[in-house]
Amino acid sequence: MDLESLLPTLLGLAWLLPLASFAVILFAGPRLGNHGKGAAGVATAAIVGSFVLSLFAFISWVAQHPVHAVAHGDHGGAHAAADPTHGSGDHASASHATATGHEPGHDTGHGEAAHGEANHAGSPVHYSGDWYTLYEGGRLKLSIGWYVDALTVLMFVMITFIATCIHVYASGYMHDELHDITDHEVHLADGSHLHRPGRFHRFFQALSLFCFSMLGIVIAGNLAMVFIFWELVGICSWFLIGFYYERKSASNAANKAFIVNRIGDFGMLIGLMALWGALGTLHFADSTGPDGHARPGLFSLIRPPVAGHGQWVPDGMVKFAAAEKVGAVLRSHADDPRAAVEQVEAKVEDWRDEGYGRWLLLVAGLGIFCGCIGKSAQFPLFVWLPDAMEGPTPVSALVHSATMVAAGVYLVGRFYPVLTPDALLVIAYVGAITLFIAATIALVANDIKRVLAYSTVSQLGYMMLALGVGGWLAGLFHLVTHAFFKSLLFLCSGSVIHACHTNDMRKMGGLAKVMPWTSGTMLVGCLAIIGAGIPFLDIGLSGYYSKDSILAQALLFARENPSHSILFYAVAGGAMLTAFYMFRLWFMTFAGQPRDHHVHDHAHESPPVMVYPLVALSILAVVAGWTLPGGFGIANMIEQARPAGTGGIELGGLLFSAFTVPAEHASHAHDIHVTASLTAFATAAAGVLLAALMYVWGIIPPAMVASAVKPLYTFLANRWYFDEIYRFLFVLPVLGVSRLVSGTDKGIIDRFIEGLAWGAKQVAGFDAWLDRTLIDGLVNGTASATYSAGLELKKLQTGQLRQYVMFIALGTVAIFVLAGLLFRSSFAG
Amino acid sequence: MTGLLDMDISSVTHVIVPALATSLPTLPMAGINWHSVLFLLFAGLACGFAVGVVAADNVVRMALYLVFSLGSTAGLFFLAGAEFLGAMQLMIYVGGTLVLLVFGVMLTAQAPFVSIKPSSSDRTLAAVAGASLLALLLTAAFSVDAWMVPGVGEVPAPSATPLGMALIGVRVDTPPNGSPNGGHVGYMLPFEIVSVHLLVVLVGAAYLARAKRRRTPRAIDAVASAMPVESAVVATAAVTVPGRTAGGAKSALVGGGR
Amino acid sequence: MMNFSLAPSILPPGLTMPASVGMIPLFAANPFTEPVGVIHYLIVGAVLFTAGIACMTLKRNALGILMGIELVLNGANINFVAFSSSYLRAEGAPTLGLDGQVVALFVILLAAAEAAVALAITLNFYNNHATVDVDRADDLKG
Repeated sequence: MDLESLLPTLLGLAWLLPLASFAVILFAGPRLGNHGKGAAGVATAAIVGSFVLSLFAFISWVAQHPVHAVAHGDHGGAHAAADPTHGSGDHASASHATATGHEPGHDTGHGEAAHGEANHAGSPVHYSGDWYTLYEGGRLKLSIGWYVDALTVLMFVMITFIATCIHVYASGYMHDELHDITDHEVHLADGSHLHRPGRFHRFFQALSLFCFSMLGIVIAGNLAMVFIFWELVGICSWFLIGFYYERKSASNAANKAFIVNRIGDFGMLIGLMALWGALGTLHFADSTGPDGHARPGLFSLIRPPVAGHGQWVPDGMVKFAAAEKVGAVLRSHADDPRAAVEQVEAKVEDWRDEGYGRWLLLVAGLGIFCGCIGKSAQFPLFVWLPDAMEGPTPVSALVHSATMVAAGVYLVGRFYPVLTPDALLVIAYVGAITLFIAATIALVANDIKRVLAYSTVSQLGYMMLALGVGGWLAGLFHLVTHAFFKSLLFLCSGSVIHACHTNDMRKMGGLAKVMPWTSGTMLVGCLAIIGAGIPFLDIGLSGYYSKDSILAQALLFARENPSHSILFYAVAGGAMLTAFYMFRLWFMTFAGQPRDHHVHDHAHESPPVMVYPLVALSILAVVAGWTLPGGFGIANMIEQARPAGTGGIELGGLLFSAFTVPAEHASHAHDIHVTASLTAFATAAAGVLLAALMYVWGIIPPAMVASAVKPLYTFLANRWYFDEIYRFLFVLPVLGVSRLVSGTDKGIIDRFIEGLAWGAKQVAGFDAWLDRTLIDGLVNGTASATYSAGLELKKLQTGQLRQYVMFIALGTVAIFVLAGLLFRSSFAG
Repeated sequence: MTGLLDMDISSVTHVIVPALATSLPTLPMAGINWHSVLFLLFAGLACGFAVGVVAADNVVRMALYLVFSLGSTAGLFFLAGAEFLGAMQLMIYVGGTLVLLVFGVMLTAQAPFVSIKPSSSDRTLAAVAGASLLALLLTAAFSVDAWMVPGVGEVPAPSATPLGMALIGVRVDTPPNGSPNGGHVGYMLPFEIVSVHLLVVLVGAAYLARAKRRRTPRAIDAVASAMPVESAVVATAAVTVPGRTAGGAKSALVGGGR
Repeated sequence: MMNFSLAPSILPPGLTMPASVGMIPLFAANPFTEPVGVIHYLIVGAVLFTAGIACMTLKRNALGILMGIELVLNGANINFVAFSSSYLRAEGAPTLGLDGQVVALFVILLAAAEAAVALAITLNFYNNHATVDVDRADDLKG
């Protein structure tokens, strides 16, 4: 069986299994097992099945497209017109550069200098197709389809693995929901606490639906499908955050998440409309139309193979943007439509050179990115993620660290060919701002989950920044490694919360002895996130490799564009802040003396069902970045999926003054690599040291630092007042408008309607009176008049014989007289 | 005797009356149309007695007046030339029907009912009705010129044979000139029908007037028993003495006590 | 010419002036010398008829009403006979002839039959109600 049909089948099944689990739990949830305990089994079985299938697909892929270090020289132009279905995976690693001491983990072969032109490799190996066409007509084709390349397979494996660990973890963590619960955070009207039945199965139902939606985004072959599952993921997140919906805080957090996401989706719709309106298609890859002609996809339109996959504005966009000129040409040739069309086609090239359509392409890219801002909690739409910690910890681990928030980064990575360099720079700045703000807030947060939430936001900023400065591989690599160690960190925090029954770190301390497994795995996670490793030996935890590549690319970008060096400093400074607050968290929780003996006494290690996932994830947090000899590694696998035409130098200058996006492989240049890794090490070490000074050895008391910079501390502790600003800027005006509208409706419209009704009633009353008096009166009057007439006429019948005779006689006389008067003739001939 | 039968009115006018005329030199007999005189006599009797029937209060007197009126009518029939009809009038009508009527009067002429006076308003009303009807009839009668033409003045002696034959169904009379009825019809069928009709009436009347077996006594028996026998005789005798009974309701009240 | 004329407004226009005998209306002529015509009989018939109607209207005695009926029928008979007689008209004028007499005969017969039945009814009524006052026979009063 060839990959082209095997992969869609495997991945499609893996995608649909959680949906089946959702359906089963939806209809039979409470009946599964004791109090619905079986729901966990069903969901876990489904996601394990998905993992197995994904693994199988992964193995098949690797068998057919061996992962090994790809020589950068092979990005050369020989494959400019490569057939899209054949990838560059068959290339042997022709020119492995001589060993520079770089151990597995780095691409070899830096022989080539940066390419001067935008002439890069042919399309990566990918398979695309449609399962089901919802609608096909004219320019529009809406379908459920797939786009499978190395990145897709890798993401599948990652998501299903993490989801499996979390399903197992949650089946232990959520055992409270198997019986009735008294929720102490909910106060009823009479002051008592809420007493409610448990909803264990609902949790797994939503979790299954979420997995289905997330995998749908990953496998999607066109933007419309992405959008559908984008929204679906949002809904699942809403439900999971608001799982304890009786708590006002939880339901508010869920609404906030959904609404803020929706704001981002508004921009995404604009981007979608720009793309479809100008290009007429939303598919990523090429497909065949109903008439047999090839329909180019977005990637081929914007980076056509004929030009070496260089990015240009496609004809459709040029014509869309130059609509006035097109109209003028058509009008001048109104008599001959064919000539008019030819004329337009001839002029397209000139118009493109004049720059028509570039802004449209930029807007399309930025529009799609708006959706990513919302979904990946970037500035300014990051306010929902910290509040999303109201949900149970497994939700935070799965949804808000590893998968859903990663969907935005994934989409940027998938959509990379379409993004113009200016859009990329905007993305980079947004990421930089985000990572800085979030890191600073995490410095002073006391809730363990809040720290991790802001850490997530900050790391997402890292990824966006990486993608923005041209580090496509770096950003996606960090996405994968971050998924592993962030979910690990969340699960460990869940374990701590489960033991201490509190989120507040100020009540924790000295838990390392009590919870060895948790503290050990959390230490691994913290080391991973700060990128701990030995620079010169290039050995480190997973975060080491990914963070290094980000730093390298940022440094390269800063060197190429000195005016944008702030980006590098942001990365470096962020690294230090990250190290500081992560170890602050660890030290406050596990090291030192217990701050609250009550909490400490009751703390206990989590049950094995919760520890096993921690161990599994920590193992992965360590090894995920390693590249085996021979080249097999996550980074190289992602590299297989590099979109055609990217990875080289791009020139920007539409939005900003002219700048250069450097080629990514140039970041592996020795000097840059060394500088970057040293910077990373130094900043991380400094951060850990500072945290130790403050929280372990107590040399610098935190309280003193806080009081020394009290305004700054307050500012950070209040999360930069973002919530308050938003409330003032957006929430209150909307509420005011809604109050106004509601008042109008009640006061004016309702009054008007009631007035109309009152008027109708009056008319009805009048009509009733008319009916009663006139019509009924008429009828009754007629009847009574007839009756009286009858009564009067009755008097004629006296029974008197003589009177009757009299009447006969008089009547006869009268008749004859009348006849004589009327007919005026004699009585007899 | 046959000569008597052969006599007819014309012989009276042309034979007897001239004979009388010669014997009565004072009367200007020449030019007197005795036909008309007799007509006047009979007409006056008929009308007068008819009015008398209307005016009389005593039912017995009414019956008598009616007899006289109808007898005069028979005379009128004779004068018009319909002697068979006149004879029939006397025989059937006067001698049969009116006798029957008189029987009825006798049977019901108890003292209280002999004369029942209508109120004066009724009389006025009847007078008005009668007058209007009379006016109408006279107006109608006077409207046709053909009826105003004087007649022949004398009546030869017709026979009853054509009428008898007509009743059997054979028309033997010659149609008068210009008679609208060109073809004659026989009256056999009406004759037979009337015969059956009379039979039916006979049976019916006999049935209606039969003596019924009664559980409760008849009202008339109560009245009859209430009245003493002698007063009943007196009441009966009063019938034959006209004028004796007092009219009006007063007598009805005191009639029982007498 | 002495013409008897009623006021034209009362009379229907169809009515013509009565014929006259030598310019004298027939019924104003000397009754002793002039022969009678149909009109004389008609007048008698009208009088009898009217008397009969008046009798029927006026009399409270049931037998009085019967007598009125007899008068009415006789009035009609007189009319029939008058129209059938050829001696009351000018020489050769059309008349009803025998038909009139036959009809009058049948009228007499039917009058007899009717009188018998009416008498039976009256006697029945008398036996049941002990009165012949028709004003008492108002059971069908509405």
